[in-house]
Amino acid sequence: MRPLRVLVSAFVAAAAIVASRPASAEVSESDVKAAFLPRFARYVTWPASAAPSGSNPFVVCVIGDDPFGNQLNSAARSQAVDGRRIVVRRLSSAEGAGGCQIAFVAGSRTAPVGQLLASLRGKPILTVTDSRNGGYQGIVHFAVVNGRVRFFINDADAERRGLKISSRLLALAISVKQ
Amino acid sequence: MRRNFTIGACILVSAMASAARAEDSADQQDLANLSIEQLAQIEVRSASKIDEPLSSAPTALYVITNQKIVDSGVTSLPEALRLAPNLWVQQIDASNYAISARGFNGLESSNKLLVLIDGRSVYAPLASTVYWNLHWPLLEDIQQVEVISGPGGTLYGPNAVNGVINVTSRDARDTIGTLARATGGALEQTAAIRQGFALGETGAVRVYANWHNQEGLHPGVGADIDDDYNGWQAGFRSDFGGSEDHVTVQGDLFRTNADTFEGDGAKGQNLLARWSHTISPQSSFELQSYYDYFKRDFVLASESVATLDTQAQANLTHGSHNLVAGLGVRTTKDRFINNLNAFKLNPESRRLWTYNLFVQDRWTLAPDLDVIAGTKIERSSFTGWEVLPNLRIAWQPNEQTLVWASASRAVRTPSRIDRQLEATINGTPFLTQSDEFQSETLTALELGYRGQPSRTTSLSVNGFINFYDDLRTTEFVNGTFQLLNNRAGRTYGIEAWGTAQLMPWWRLSLGGATLWKDLHVKQDHFDFIPRNVVGNDPNWQVKMASHFDIGERIELELNGRAVGRIERDPEVGSYVELGGNLAYRLTDALDLYVAARNLLHDQHAENNDPNSGQLAKRSIYGGIRVHF
Repeated sequence: MRPLRVLVSAFVAAAAIVASRPASAEVSESDVKAAFLPRFARYVTWPASAAPSGSNPFVVCVIGDDPFGNQLNSAARSQAVDGRRIVVRRLSSAEGAGGCQIAFVAGSRTAPVGQLLASLRGKPILTVTDSRNGGYQGIVHFAVVNGRVRFFINDADAERRGLKISSRLLALAISVKQ
Repeated sequence: MRRNFTIGACILVSAMASAARAEDSADQQDLANLSIEQLAQIEVRSASKIDEPLSSAPTALYVITNQKIVDSGVTSLPEALRLAPNLWVQQIDASNYAISARGFNGLESSNKLLVLIDGRSVYAPLASTVYWNLHWPLLEDIQQVEVISGPGGTLYGPNAVNGVINVTSRDARDTIGTLARATGGALEQTAAIRQGFALGETGAVRVYANWHNQEGLHPGVGADIDDDYNGWQAGFRSDFGGSEDHVTVQGDLFRTNADTFEGDGAKGQNLLARWSHTISPQSSFELQSYYDYFKRDFVLASESVATLDTQAQANLTHGSHNLVAGLGVRTTKDRFINNLNAFKLNPESRRLWTYNLFVQDRWTLAPDLDVIAGTKIERSSFTGWEVLPNLRIAWQPNEQTLVWASASRAVRTPSRIDRQLEATINGTPFLTQSDEFQSETLTALELGYRGQPSRTTSLSVNGFINFYDDLRTTEFVNGTFQLLNNRAGRTYGIEAWGTAQLMPWWRLSLGGATLWKDLHVKQDHFDFIPRNVVGNDPNWQVKMASHFDIGERIELELNGRAVGRIERDPEVGSYVELGGNLAYRLTDALDLYVAARNLLHDQHAENNDPNSGQLAKRSIYGGIRVHF
């Protein structure tokens, strides 16, 4: 009986120690992508006509099926660019996307990623896509490298829209299309 | 003692709960303080708290995610498919399985399920079956497996009668880096490696190799066969993208060896290319073409099939209409040589053609109401044009609820065996060809609910009634056997599954399916081999999955199943089995795990195949996975 009791206690203690260790950096893929999105605002320059004016906030849009939920809202709240707030808008189609500086193009059954990208073609919006939602690539395209979230960047497309991407962001890209 | 234990358990539970709570609130805060460079260095896991965003597909859909496959520690595709509550899986021998949805399960009878791997059909057309032991994709690189029970509707290819299994691998841009995995136990061993790298400015490619070995099982209902099995599969996938285009090119090569008879085994290869292009915000198209070849030698019989398949699909959006239209053509060249017994295909080798055209409209009548109407017309070398319409209604009163109903028609087109199998014994015709053999038909009515009743729960319930006609019968006509279409009847059942995130560290899933069959041979006819058509199905099954995050480094997954009795002679009793996986993340790059299946019994019967049915066996194995 006694050895059993010792064993059970030891197991419980060990499990409690393991369980109560501080949380590590291991987080979900979508948390990291949500953290990236509002942060892009700091490393991209929009043409004056498309940048938020007056006291208006930066707008990050999710078009289609939103994979982030509240994670993105709190990520946006925690960031500010030049004292400007960042807000999140959710759209079901490309209509009304004119007010977005950054658009995460998630797509949906009725509005596939490719067709949404076509609607946003040439507009001064930083389009962001994800390998999980199909193969079409926006200016920034999320991919996973060695279990870490990284991205491809299409700088040529950004340039056509009058967007200037900082070298600090370009340096993190898997590869850059010039 | 008991009190001690209770107190201990309380401490354990509260410690785990508080750790998990801390993790939840800390994550976003921690991420907010990181630089963009640090964000790019964080090791992530793809687990989502609740399975999937609510899909609006109005079908009985269950999705096996990559995370579920990895968490469960399984080492083969059929074992991964056990995770779907709407699939019935029977292990036949060391490497072979019979898998079906909504009945007709069995090695011969499971011929109404379409299986696609990255858009390529692996339904073997000669015998109308799927050889599960020929397909060994790298499980870590599978993005998801969509399991649809019920007719696949307009958009899937031929023979999507009782269900569709759609396996998709991850985009090459999501698998950059190195992955190596090895598992070893007394019953089975695997070793795999994958290397992915960026290619050009917008693309990536990965190459992989996967080796496996299965020790033979003990005989059950069937004779003792030497079912030891081993083999390897290697391949690549590349993806290139732009804002208007996505191009995928991929291929695989495999060899397997079976000990059943000298020289037994299989080999094959395939190559696929797909191009998606967006023309305008309202229109896009997709072109896909593939080549597939396999040759299978089994006990003095040899079969080979070469397939060339091309399909095109266009999507058009106009107002509240979402239109899909397409066409496809497939040709197969087969060869069947049988030195085991008198059954021969005449001719021995033949080229067959299948053509199809389809159109479907998803019409949004109101913001919460969609009507989907479509039809496919299909023609094969053996049949005239078949019309396969389907009508679906999807009502989505809010973002958490989908209620749908459907009526559809599907067919299983005749295979070469249905039409051109014959046998002459001692100069007397024993089985004569059936030039009149027609498609087996199904008219299906379905009703379903899918939703998220709360933020931490998801639930699906589907009911179906299937009306079958022209099912195959083996009859004695004018002094010889012949395959005819004189069985009809109906099946009905309910499938349901749900998941609840009970605690931040504890996720519990429960699912199950029931099945009733009422099939009969038409008046004045007699079927000599009903088991090859009707199948050997239990009336019910229940599946359970419980996932524990113990601290941040240990995960425990338990997968249980209870399966009802197979009544058809030889009877197989009901059984309960349990599998599991205990994984320990030693470092960000290294996982160690111990996994098991069929833990509760040394061996148990789960099929009643009289020729090759072996007993499923307990298997415990250790695994190591490295990614960097």
